[in-house]
Amino acid sequence: MSLLAPVEGWYAKKVARDEKMWMLISFVLCLMLFVWMLLWHVYGEQNPSNVTYRTTPVEFSRLHEAYIKKNMIGIDNGVPVVKPEPKSDVFFMGEMWRWSPALILQKGEWYNLHISSKDLMHGFSLQPVNMNFQVYPGYDYVLHFKPTEAGEYKVLCNEFCGIGHHTMIGKIVVIENDEDLKKYGYDFPEKSAVPAPGTDTAPATATEVAPASAEADIKAGELVYTLKGCVACHKTDGTAQLAPAWNGLFGKKEKVKENGKEIEVTVDEAYIRESIVTPQQKVTVGYEQTVMPVFALNDEEIRQVTAFVKSLQNK
Amino acid sequence: MFRTCDITGFKVDLKAQQLIRLNAVFAVISLLGAVIAALLLVFTRYQPVHLLSSEWYYRLVTYHGVNALIFWIVFFEIAGLYFGSTVVLNIRFCAPRLGWLSLILMVAGFILTDIMILAGKADVMMTSYTPLKADPLYYLGIILFAVGALLGVVLFFGNLMIARQEKAFGDTMPLFTYGMMTAAIIAFITLVTGAIIYIPTFLWSLGLIENVDAGMYKLIWWGLGHSSQQINVAAMVSIWYLGSFLAVGGTSINERISRLAFVLYIMFICLASAHHLLTDPGLSSAWKVWNTSYAMYLAVLASMIHAFAVPSSIESAQRRWGYNKGLFEWLVKAPWSNPAFSSIVLACIGFGFIGGTTGVIFGMEQTNIIVHNTIAIPGHFKGTVVIGTTLTFMGVTYYLIPLIFRRKIVGLGWARWQPWMFFFGIALLSVSMIVLGQLGVPRRHWDSTFSGGPFTYNFNPATDFFWTLMMLGGTLAFLATLIWILIVVISVFFGPKVNGPEDMQLPISALAPEGKRQGKYEAPGTLILTLAFLATFLILFFLNWKWLAATWGVY
Repeated sequence: MSLLAPVEGWYAKKVARDEKMWMLISFVLCLMLFVWMLLWHVYGEQNPSNVTYRTTPVEFSRLHEAYIKKNMIGIDNGVPVVKPEPKSDVFFMGEMWRWSPALILQKGEWYNLHISSKDLMHGFSLQPVNMNFQVYPGYDYVLHFKPTEAGEYKVLCNEFCGIGHHTMIGKIVVIENDEDLKKYGYDFPEKSAVPAPGTDTAPATATEVAPASAEADIKAGELVYTLKGCVACHKTDGTAQLAPAWNGLFGKKEKVKENGKEIEVTVDEAYIRESIVTPQQKVTVGYEQTVMPVFALNDEEIRQVTAFVKSLQNK
Repeated sequence: MFRTCDITGFKVDLKAQQLIRLNAVFAVISLLGAVIAALLLVFTRYQPVHLLSSEWYYRLVTYHGVNALIFWIVFFEIAGLYFGSTVVLNIRFCAPRLGWLSLILMVAGFILTDIMILAGKADVMMTSYTPLKADPLYYLGIILFAVGALLGVVLFFGNLMIARQEKAFGDTMPLFTYGMMTAAIIAFITLVTGAIIYIPTFLWSLGLIENVDAGMYKLIWWGLGHSSQQINVAAMVSIWYLGSFLAVGGTSINERISRLAFVLYIMFICLASAHHLLTDPGLSSAWKVWNTSYAMYLAVLASMIHAFAVPSSIESAQRRWGYNKGLFEWLVKAPWSNPAFSSIVLACIGFGFIGGTTGVIFGMEQTNIIVHNTIAIPGHFKGTVVIGTTLTFMGVTYYLIPLIFRRKIVGLGWARWQPWMFFFGIALLSVSMIVLGQLGVPRRHWDSTFSGGPFTYNFNPATDFFWTLMMLGGTLAFLATLIWILIVVISVFFGPKVNGPEDMQLPISALAPEGKRQGKYEAPGTLILTLAFLATFLILFFLNWKWLAATWGVY
């Protein structure tokens, strides 16, 4: 009697037969569930990983960038594409707002994905198989994956990571043989056709004898755009949901806010440099909610990116 | 100052009554805000309408979460704690001035937090995982509210001390108060955990601390986030026993067992928060399995015990009232027109069949992989917190209006329908969300067409159907909540005064007569129902594991 003190002798009252039965059934069920989880580690193939390394967002994005530079075989919509060797280590990074790289995996092989975040928490959500893992900044989470079906997969982000969260979507392609690559448009020419960006990397291949030419700068700029993830917000197809699109941007007059005051600027070399080095200084009107973070670009890279933006002037 | 209730005969401390009323009023205000936001959110995720901008969508997800899961529920629970420790025990409130202080702190926190969210200074979701950062005043608001609530919990224990001194109860306190004490103990642990994580986060947002580790934050935050839901469960189950008592004069068929189950909650539930970290880096499988099995399952066991004890208390009483034919006459002839009773039974069913089954399955280390952060997770807790706790609180309010606010219920005819509407609305909403989540749809996601992304993804076409069901369920539940709020507000502020037992619209049953049970079983109908529940659980269990086994290999 829930509002009154229980009747005399309540503590000694025998438990009814049916209640006893139910409690026993429940308890056995609980034990079974416990054992089941343990057994799945022995006989099952799907268990969260036990391997994590401490890292920092800076260190991991450096590892990731080096990995991409070394292994990239092409670009898909601004996302670098990598075809890792089975059982190799893959550096897979989430940042606001993209997953990088896009992967080509072989069906039935194991891969060691090192997953981490450059900024906030992200959620690695592989569809349509629907496998979901939490991605932290500062933790290198090593997940060993074995794709069991060939096909095209997408990686959604299912942990809120800011206003562009819904645009964060990556791609994994699982093939049975190299023939399949054509189906996805991933039959890129030889790997060496992609020039390495920056000044500190390998020399250009035989086909590009004049590395300092304008053409090479544009190519290198596009690569910086891909590697650094500018593409996550700045599109080149005219869509501008999170940030101004780059096509037709150079030479345009833009309304920006500086110290709360609205002024007009012309997008030229100096303005692009300023926007990269101190992005919070002038914020384009209409994009106040998605202020750009600082990306560490050296002078050479800034020059190349500027060349790339320039090349899109009339597109 | 006491008044003696002319309906129940309880002595009611007028100062306690005032505090109970005010806490309940703020609970209703919070709920109103939460459900308005909920409707806008449903119509944003329902892609053909896609109502809000992404900015406002995430802002209102935060607002809805904080108001529905924290403010509405904690305000109501503080009212419940004061009720259980003063009115039920016929004693005075230990320190009314501190009661006021607690209320002022909570209201200040409530207002500050909501202002910061709506001003766009805290688009961080209820979980506010670092390094996502909100304005310091947002964290301050939560801290003020938590300190106020903590003070309320301490006052509850103060009341219990007075009750002991005055020998207000014999051997042990009534089961309702015992259950509320369970809630209070868990609340204490929870709120302290909250302080442990919100205070450094507050300092970090001020720039006084350099870094709050994301892993540490999430681990400790769930000590608050999950355990606080266990306060709800304990309070809800206490009200279920109360409802059985008020509606049919039922009492637990074995109080020792019911109390044992409450103790299990206290001892084991807090560690179960580990199931929020099952797919996270940094924690070993051994840690995950240990914390989510031995701890969680003994708490699950407690819920299973209540799942038998609550309906069997109704069945046993009904049988003693003479509804003894067959297995289910007791259920058919139950007082279904009493909205408090129907709320409680429906809450019990929804909590078990929707929230309970999915909770256990999603909380296993491996099956969590196929639901983590999908919309199935909010689907699950719509089944626990909304159908379970919220509907229960709504139901018991139909008794609080005449007994505590001393007003007649205006629109009793509407009230009889309201629990059913709410139940079907949320059930539809919740089940659709669970199915959508199983098909991969993420939670807290503005645009399922991924506009602006480098790629796109088309979900299984079946999702269109479930989005529609979800929208319909959400709308139905919104209307049901609105009806409830209107009934409560109109009754409390404009309803005719209750002047005596003749104005009591809902019956308060006498204690069911003593009687010998016939046959071997005390509650055979309940046993059948619980076995049906078990069968449902096992079916869902194997479906989920089957799906998991079809995914990629991972270790």
